[in-house]
Amino acid sequence: MAVQDLHSERELVLLLKEKNNKAFGYLYDNYSAALFGIIHQIIDDNELASDILQEVFINIWRRIETYDPSKGRLFTWMLNIARNASIDTLRSKNYQNSKKNQELPDDVNNIGSGTPIIQANIDNIGLRKILERLKPEHRILIELAYFKGYTHEEISKIESIPLGTVKTRIRNALLQLKEYLQ
Amino acid sequence: MNIQDYILSGIIESYVLGIASPEDRAEFESVCASHPEVRKARDEFEATLEAYFMNHPGTIKPASELRDKIFAEINRTADDSPKRETIIAPIYPLQPVKRGWWRFVAAAAIILLLGSTVLNYYFFTQYKEYSIKYQELSSSQIQMASANQALQTKLQDYESAMNLMKNPAMAIIKMNSVPSSPSPNSLATVYWDTRNKDVYLLANNLPATVTDKQYQLWAIVDGKPVDAGLVEIKEGLSFIKMKNIQRAQAFAITLEKKGGSDAPTPAAMYVLGKVTG
Repeated sequence: MAVQDLHSERELVLLLKEKNNKAFGYLYDNYSAALFGIIHQIIDDNELASDILQEVFINIWRRIETYDPSKGRLFTWMLNIARNASIDTLRSKNYQNSKKNQELPDDVNNIGSGTPIIQANIDNIGLRKILERLKPEHRILIELAYFKGYTHEEISKIESIPLGTVKTRIRNALLQLKEYLQ
Repeated sequence: MNIQDYILSGIIESYVLGIASPEDRAEFESVCASHPEVRKARDEFEATLEAYFMNHPGTIKPASELRDKIFAEINRTADDSPKRETIIAPIYPLQPVKRGWWRFVAAAAIILLLGSTVLNYYFFTQYKEYSIKYQELSSSQIQMASANQALQTKLQDYESAMNLMKNPAMAIIKMNSVPSSPSPNSLATVYWDTRNKDVYLLANNLPATVTDKQYQLWAIVDGKPVDAGLVEIKEGLSFIKMKNIQRAQAFAITLEKKGGSDAPTPAAMYVLGKVTG
C-alpha cells in the first residue's frame, strides 16, 4: 500500500465526515462498481442489488463518523456494510418467499449437496471466480459462511460435520483464497 | 501465543471478510492493537482484497441513474440532518408559537370580553345617569313650559286688563266698603264700557270666601237690584267679565250662597259704588 494511498484515503474520510458532496461523489465513482459486485454475488437480482447498493451508500454517508481507521481500511468497512446489507436482504421473508416461488426444488436440494448454488450470470464476479478454483468441500464452506452469512455452528449443523472440521476447512479455504487473490 | 502462527491461522482473512465470530473479532482487534506485525499483515490482506475487488468488479454495472438517486437521497437527508438540529430549534419555538397563536386568540378574546364588559358597564352607568338627567331636564322643561304658559295667561290677563283701562269709553266705578260690611276694608271696582255696556269687575280687596258661598254683583237699576253675575275670583290682578248691563245707577256686591240668589241679602253687602255722571 502506497503512502500516497493512505494519505488520500485519510483525506477522503475527513472530507466525508464533513459531509463533503464532492468527496462522496468520488467515493461513489471509485467504489460503486466493486461494491455492486460484492452485493450481486450474494443477491442474484439486479433491481434488488441496486436497491441494496443505494442503501449501502446512504449508510456510508450517514455512518461515516463511526468508521474507525485503526480497525481497517475504508474499503473493508464498506465491504462489510455491503455484505451485511445483502445478507440481511437474503434472509428477509420477502426475499425468501420470492426465491421459493421461483426455484424451490433446486435451491433446497443444492444447499446440502455440496453442488455449487452459483447462478450463471454471477459466476464470474469477484470472489466467485476464485471460489471455482477451491476444492468443493472448501468452496461450500466459503459459500455458506461468506455468501450466506452462516456462523460456524450453523454450518456444522447444515453440513453435518463437526465444528472443528468446519473451522479447519474454512481456515484452509481462506488461506487458499488469499493465495489466489494475489 | 506464537504471533506468526496467529497471522497464518486464517483469522486475518476471517476478520476482514466479516465471517469471524464476535469473540474472534474482539480477540483479533486487541492483538492488532498490541502487535504491529499482525496489523501489518491485516493491512496487506485488506489491500490485496481491495485491489482484487477493484480489478474484478463484475460484468454487471450499477445503473447510471442510481448515482443521482443516491445523491438526491443524501442531499435530502443532508438537508434534514444538519437542520434536524437547526430545524428542531426553530420547530420548537414554532410549536409554542402555534399553540401560542391559540393562546393569543383566547387571551385576546378574554381581553376583549373583559374590555367589552367594562365598557358595557361604563356605558350602562352613563346611560342610566343620562336617562335620569334627561328625565330631570324633561320634567323641568315641562315645568318651565307650564310656568311659561301660566305667565302667558297672566300676561294676556294683564294685557286685556291694560286694554280695558286704556279704553277711553270705560267708566270706572269704585265700590267702597259699606258701613254694615262684614269686612270694613273691602274694595272692588267696576269697569263699565259705556258704548257696548260690558261690565268688568276688579276685586281689589275682598276676603276669601268659604266653599259654599260666592260673591254676587248687583246692578242697582231705578232702586232695584239686578243680577250682574257671579264673581269668580281668580288669582292676581284680573278683570272678571260680568253680565252686560244697559242701565244702572249703582253697583254692589253681596255674599250669597253658591250659585247666586235671585235677590241680594242686604245684611251681606260688602261694597257699594254709585255711577257718577
